[in-house]
Amino acid sequence: MNRFTLAAVAAVMAGAGSAQAANIEFWYGNTGNVEVAIKAQCDAFNASQSEHKVNCVGQGSYEVSMQKAIAAYRAKNHPILIQFFDAGTLDLMLSGAVEPVQDLMPEVKWDSYIAGARAYYETSKGKLFAQPYNSSTLLFYTNKTELEKAGISETPTDWEGIIEAARKLKAAGHACPFVTDGDTWRILEQFSARHGLPIATKHNGYDGLDAEYVINSTFAAKHLANLVEWRKEGLVRLAADTKAGNYTAAFNAGECAMMEQSSGSYAAASKAFDGKYELTVSMAPMYKGYERHNTFVGGASIYIMKGHKQPEIEAAKAFLDFLRKPEQQMSFTAATGYVPVTTDVLDVIAKSDEANSPKYATAKVGVESMNQPATADTRGIRLGFYVQFREVFMEETQKAFAGQQTMQAALDNTKKRGDQLLRRFEQTYKGKQLP
Amino acid sequence: MSSESSMFSHRWLPVLLLAPLMLLIVLFFYVPVFQAFYWSFFLEQPFGGGSEFVGLQNFQRVLSDPEFWGATGRTVIFMLTASSLAVVVPLMLAIAADRKIGMSYPARNILVWPKGIAGASIGVVFAFIFNPFVGLMAPLNSLFPGLWNPGIDGTDAFITLVAAHVWSGIPFNFVILLAGLRSIPPTMYQAAAMDGAGPWRRIFDVQLPLIMPQLFLTFVLEFTESITSVFALIDTITGGGPGGSTTLLVYKIYVDGFRGFDLSGASTQTAILMVFVLILAACQFFFLGRRINYER
Repeated sequence: MNRFTLAAVAAVMAGAGSAQAANIEFWYGNTGNVEVAIKAQCDAFNASQSEHKVNCVGQGSYEVSMQKAIAAYRAKNHPILIQFFDAGTLDLMLSGAVEPVQDLMPEVKWDSYIAGARAYYETSKGKLFAQPYNSSTLLFYTNKTELEKAGISETPTDWEGIIEAARKLKAAGHACPFVTDGDTWRILEQFSARHGLPIATKHNGYDGLDAEYVINSTFAAKHLANLVEWRKEGLVRLAADTKAGNYTAAFNAGECAMMEQSSGSYAAASKAFDGKYELTVSMAPMYKGYERHNTFVGGASIYIMKGHKQPEIEAAKAFLDFLRKPEQQMSFTAATGYVPVTTDVLDVIAKSDEANSPKYATAKVGVESMNQPATADTRGIRLGFYVQFREVFMEETQKAFAGQQTMQAALDNTKKRGDQLLRRFEQTYKGKQLP
Repeated sequence: MSSESSMFSHRWLPVLLLAPLMLLIVLFFYVPVFQAFYWSFFLEQPFGGGSEFVGLQNFQRVLSDPEFWGATGRTVIFMLTASSLAVVVPLMLAIAADRKIGMSYPARNILVWPKGIAGASIGVVFAFIFNPFVGLMAPLNSLFPGLWNPGIDGTDAFITLVAAHVWSGIPFNFVILLAGLRSIPPTMYQAAAMDGAGPWRRIFDVQLPLIMPQLFLTFVLEFTESITSVFALIDTITGGGPGGSTTLLVYKIYVDGFRGFDLSGASTQTAILMVFVLILAACQFFFLGRRINYER
């Protein structure tokens, strides 16, 4: 019997006395360099202790992960930990399939999460439902080198400035001054939040399931109509207008000079730019005359699913504890550009001699953006079947970009179809209260 | 005619031999279909927390939804254009390959090869071929900017989809039609030629009537296949966009059910789609199938 076997036996015996050892599964949806970082955290957890073992399974995307979780839960074969993205928050809260993390782990100092991150995932009584994991927010990226070539020395901070810069870039022969994929999260949700505009009544659904969409009558409608006009003028490009066919790739390759994108994209952009271009990231642009509010926390959080035995719950808690450790959050931030959302980690970063290092660039700006003054409409989005609403929004606005209908007609349709989704959600969960 | 059971002396042997296959069909076809029909009368919570019987409300909602009719309309257009072309193009190729013209022998082989390619792979390849910046249309686009862009223009995306579907349908239909043509006795052509019938005359009066059973088979399969098998192409080429222009019914069901967690709505549409396909196949057999003479 070698030393490792002895150690293992000893560990098992010790484990049998106190908490039992368990193998658990964690499902996540990310790919690319984020997946690499997640796998590294899983390996680090398994290496750091011998009591529990987490098996991290990549599902390819948040949606696929969710589909499989639904099927697995119905078959009673589901993982204990699952990562899911912002849009599914209410669907999961009412599903009855998850246990609020704060109920299972009351001893954790959940107050250390910044208010913007808490508000998105907490119940009306202030209990966190999920542990924020890969948090991000919307930032404004520019290719400083290209901007300077066109004679723009100052990075624009508002839409008026961006359009002025875009006109200069176009005059200088640039084919793609500003690029977007027209994604709901970027052009509607984060825009509405930072301009303090509601997306739906009842404070985006926080005060009841009988909310209705208002996106067709807020200032967001004007902004979206502007995007259509700017695209006609050649200042704004959609992903399909670019050679790369993907807007992040188009920006990273230097084809496009400016974009709005998640902080989670920072690591890839800075790697692609290395030695070729200079990158800037700042808070997402405002219109002049509007007071800046917080942006929503995006990305995803980790939920504990019901129906597991105590040893597995202990293992899940241990893994979540591990992920909350400052050094884990910091290395994850450095590897991906996702933003740490606990004050203790932000303090550690601020005090370290790497505080101004580019690898923490998004942490600083991102948290600053999420910490802007909040209103009841900028807590988050608590609307049912919201994933489907995003699809509807994309479909209708794409028609507007293609000139098949005006943006106002697109938004009117989106509201109509969105309200139908909300009414059906209300009926599906009849008698249930918002937690 | 000999008795059909004469091959098996034992009464239960055929049943036993069939059982594994039947089990699979029941498990992966009849059970889900039953489930879909069942759910179409309920409002079902995604995680199974509870469901409410709502009678025909789901059908009422779906049938009054303009999006559903839009997707149905696109499905019918696709069925008519793509499946007609997917039979006509292989028919022309088969007639050509059947004639003793140069390269017809290697062509008979080469045209079958694409059969081995999965729909998703075809989708990836066609997305590249029809890419507005690097694909086949790129030279045209540089002459007339904005002429071709399936990422923006719904019609362009639809054409891409039809082209990919027709291409992927060539091998199977080609084999069936060519086999039909090869089985026509050459004496028929010779007699027709002796009577003064030119090549076109021989195609329309001899070949086409004689391969009617094969044509019918390919049409029936294509019509029903085009409704369901297009899923892989949509998912890899267009993702249903832009602006829903390539969201055919089968893709809408997937999006509603799996991305929107609307199990009841997706089930209802599945039920409607299945009834539609059944009616379609029944119509074909009633109105076309009866007229076909299978005896030579």
